[in-house]
Amino acid sequence: MERKIIDFDQGWDYMQKGITKLKRILEGAPETPFSSEEYMMLYTTIYNMCTQKPPNDFSQQLYDKYKDAFDEYINTTVLPSLREKHDEFMLRELVQRWLNHKVMVRWLSRFFHYLDRYFISRRSLAGLGAVGLTCFRDSVYMEVRVNARKAVIALIDKEREGEQIDRSLLKNVLDIFVEIGMGEMDQYEQDFEVHMLEDTADYYKSKAANWIEIDSCPDYMLKAEDCLRRERDRVSHYLHSSTEQKLVEKVQQEVLVIHANQLLEKENSGCHALLRDDKVEDLSRMYRLYHKIPKGLDPVANVFKQHITAEGAALVQQAEEASSNQTTSGSGFQEQVLVRKFLELHDKYMAYVNDCFMNHTLFHKALKEAFEIFCNKTVGGSSSAELLSTFCDNILKKGGSEKLSDEAIEDTLEKVVKLLAYISDKDLFAEFYRKKLARRLLFDRSANDDHEKCILTKLKQQCGGQFTSKMEGMVVDLTLARDNQLKFEEYLRDNSHVNPGIDLTVTVLTTGFWPSYKSFDLNLPSEMIRCLEVFKGFYETRTKHRKLTWIYSLGTCHVTGKFDTKNIELIVPTYPAAALLLFNNADRLSYSEILTQLNLGHEDVVRLLHSLSCAKYKILIKEPNNKVISQNDIFEFNHKFTDKMRRIKIPLPPADERKKVIEDVDKDRRYAIDAAIVRIMKSRKILGHQQLVLECVEQLGRMFKPDIKAIKKRIEDLITRDYLERDKDNPNTFRYLA
Amino acid sequence: MHKLGRGHRDKLQQFITITGASEKIALQALKASDWHLEGAFDFFYNQPQLKTFTDSRHLEELYNRYKDAYVDMILADGITVLCNDIQVDPQDIVMLVLSWHMKAGTMCEFSKKEFIEGLQSLGIDSLDKFREKIPYMRSELKDEQKFREIYNFAFGWAKEKGQKSLALDTAIGMWQLLFAEKQWPLVDHWCQFLQARHNKAISRDTWSQLLEFAKTVGSNLSDYDAEGAWPYLIDEFVEYLNENGIIQNGLINDSSLKW
Repeated sequence: MERKIIDFDQGWDYMQKGITKLKRILEGAPETPFSSEEYMMLYTTIYNMCTQKPPNDFSQQLYDKYKDAFDEYINTTVLPSLREKHDEFMLRELVQRWLNHKVMVRWLSRFFHYLDRYFISRRSLAGLGAVGLTCFRDSVYMEVRVNARKAVIALIDKEREGEQIDRSLLKNVLDIFVEIGMGEMDQYEQDFEVHMLEDTADYYKSKAANWIEIDSCPDYMLKAEDCLRRERDRVSHYLHSSTEQKLVEKVQQEVLVIHANQLLEKENSGCHALLRDDKVEDLSRMYRLYHKIPKGLDPVANVFKQHITAEGAALVQQAEEASSNQTTSGSGFQEQVLVRKFLELHDKYMAYVNDCFMNHTLFHKALKEAFEIFCNKTVGGSSSAELLSTFCDNILKKGGSEKLSDEAIEDTLEKVVKLLAYISDKDLFAEFYRKKLARRLLFDRSANDDHEKCILTKLKQQCGGQFTSKMEGMVVDLTLARDNQLKFEEYLRDNSHVNPGIDLTVTVLTTGFWPSYKSFDLNLPSEMIRCLEVFKGFYETRTKHRKLTWIYSLGTCHVTGKFDTKNIELIVPTYPAAALLLFNNADRLSYSEILTQLNLGHEDVVRLLHSLSCAKYKILIKEPNNKVISQNDIFEFNHKFTDKMRRIKIPLPPADERKKVIEDVDKDRRYAIDAAIVRIMKSRKILGHQQLVLECVEQLGRMFKPDIKAIKKRIEDLITRDYLERDKDNPNTFRYLA
Repeated sequence: MHKLGRGHRDKLQQFITITGASEKIALQALKASDWHLEGAFDFFYNQPQLKTFTDSRHLEELYNRYKDAYVDMILADGITVLCNDIQVDPQDIVMLVLSWHMKAGTMCEFSKKEFIEGLQSLGIDSLDKFREKIPYMRSELKDEQKFREIYNFAFGWAKEKGQKSLALDTAIGMWQLLFAEKQWPLVDHWCQFLQARHNKAISRDTWSQLLEFAKTVGSNLSDYDAEGAWPYLIDEFVEYLNENGIIQNGLINDSSLKW
């Protein structure tokens, strides 16, 4: 039996009944659900109408009717219901209509499914689902999107003002914006997001303009943080996740960026005040708020730097004032206090960098630059390089002014080394440090070998091996010297025919490691000459190719003074000892006689005579009896001298070695600049002046900051000495001469 | 004899006056440069000098006239006699130019070789020719390139044997002599500055660069670059001028300055 042909009108009339039933269901009218039989009949009708032979194949008509069904429903039912409602109610209606629409699409897609399988795929037409959604988009969405957006934004602003809103409603509405894009975000972004962001900007612009006037900086930041948190919360509840970054940036821009300067500079609560009052929590919040904003931290770092600089400068000022009030015998106590305060300041603000500012490089840099400013000031005539080395000396020497545990010493030394990083003149520090290290080592005034080695290790790590090589050499020399002395004593025991006459301890030093010392040709007393000869004989048994040079100025002698009342052991430097021995053969000697017999310079003779006749212990009587040594003075052994102690120490008056150190460093710098220039020119052969100066500064910057003028002077000197010449055609260019 | 227009005759006379050249040579130079004076000077100074034949016997006689009695050299006394013969003051700058021609190694001395070869290069073998040549040598100071050569020659010539630098007093004297030819407005300030602030010998580099400074940096110093490669001493000089109000806002403020 052949299947009965269904004509279009008859078939469509049947479909129409099904569609009407569906609509009634959607509208909530009393209607029984579709039974499976009804469903099958509807599906089969479409199937039959699509599979009949032309001209009874109604696929195209049915495809058109499918779309018409939606259009008709939208125009007769959906739009009127939306048009009569406003604001939140309109949103609710929209959500409901969208849900209904999706149900309708789903059911009709099933009824018309056969079209998708053959007709649509063969013709490359839009699928049934897409057609359905497009109908809603083009008819409903396009009409209501503006009002919907406004309503949504109004509700968002309402929520911002603290009112309760229906978040799920907004979620559903915004889902429409997303879904209507059918996989693309264009609709959501163009029709909603961009406008919402604009509204957000306006909202916060208005709010911030008010807050910035009435709130303190911390209160403002609390509000800012709260705003950001709530906007992020909003995203997680109903905005699309892709909006978060843009939304946050808007808030940041309006609340944090635009008012950054005004906020940070608030008179009594801004960044400066927070630092002044140690408001750690508020500063941390400031960091959290600004660190994700491009260049957002720059002003904070700048204030941080200014603040530290000001605090450091205040410390320097205090120390300067205290120093000028200090008596000359104060021995730089105030300067030592300054170093301690620098260390504390550094600890404090390094903690800020690490904790409040999360180790951000900007704040490390700000801290560094601030310390570089005030750590390079001079206080009481002392450069910071000298102050630091003196501070170390006090910690490391016996009986120093610091009383610290081993752990505290090591910790403090570590911090001092870190502070050294900020000092431009590291070479000056090295020279002062070496000078004091030498004194500690040579006069047995070092408290602890381990600490000496410890600081050298830290200095080496920070400044490089070249920086510490001489110092390490010094420490090694001392160890070798002890060993050498043991060998000398052994030598004396093994060679009984050799008799030095008096006890002798010698410390052998390597030239180049140690600071340069004057090596005068002192006329030694005969008693001393003999024991030097003995040592020399010993030394030559241990090495054939070294030369001994004696530095008497570093020596110490134990001399028994025979006075009328009792003998007293005098512990004196070698120069005064030699002078005293002259009085074994004469009761009175003139200044010039002493000068001639000792073969020393005036400066040294004045110092030693001062220590013997004008200081605490007057071993010699001076004529005239005053405090100043002059070349017309006469000196006489003081037989009547006595003291309650049996042993007394007579030091030389302290020499001002600052000038010497500075001169030495200046000289070394000249060599260093020359070497750098020659090194650069040797590799480049031809180089412009600017470039040469630049590279020179770069090469030397780790140790000291060369003055441009100093470099120019060295260049000229090298030209004069024929290492360089000016290019014949361009006097701004130099050539290396082999 | 050529018939010359008045303009050409004036130029010819001017050229002869400045260079001391003969009329024949002057005419040749002016024609080669199409009667432009500046071009004629260039032509004249760039021409290799025609090696005029010189009588070596006469040169020997000249040398022997001035040489020292004990040393085979012409020394200060001999130079004094020479200056007298050619009617030139020993302090005259033309003696520096002469020394430059002779490649004299040091001031107040001419070795035999220097003297004879120098005079040969100048085409001189008699006192008459020597006197005729004086204006020519004086005119060489007008030429920029030759002035520079003479200026830089002066450093080695004036300094003590064995020294690398030029004594300050000598340097100041030389600068005053040389810049009288060049009209550098700051020369007196420069000399005062050196005596007040420097008081040490002058290096060759400073010496040669000062001429560049005088030529290239405007007298108001507005185009001076302290970061440039100028010698340190010139940097100091510029500072000195600014500190003492001699240069203010790029203008020379010195009523005693003569133009």
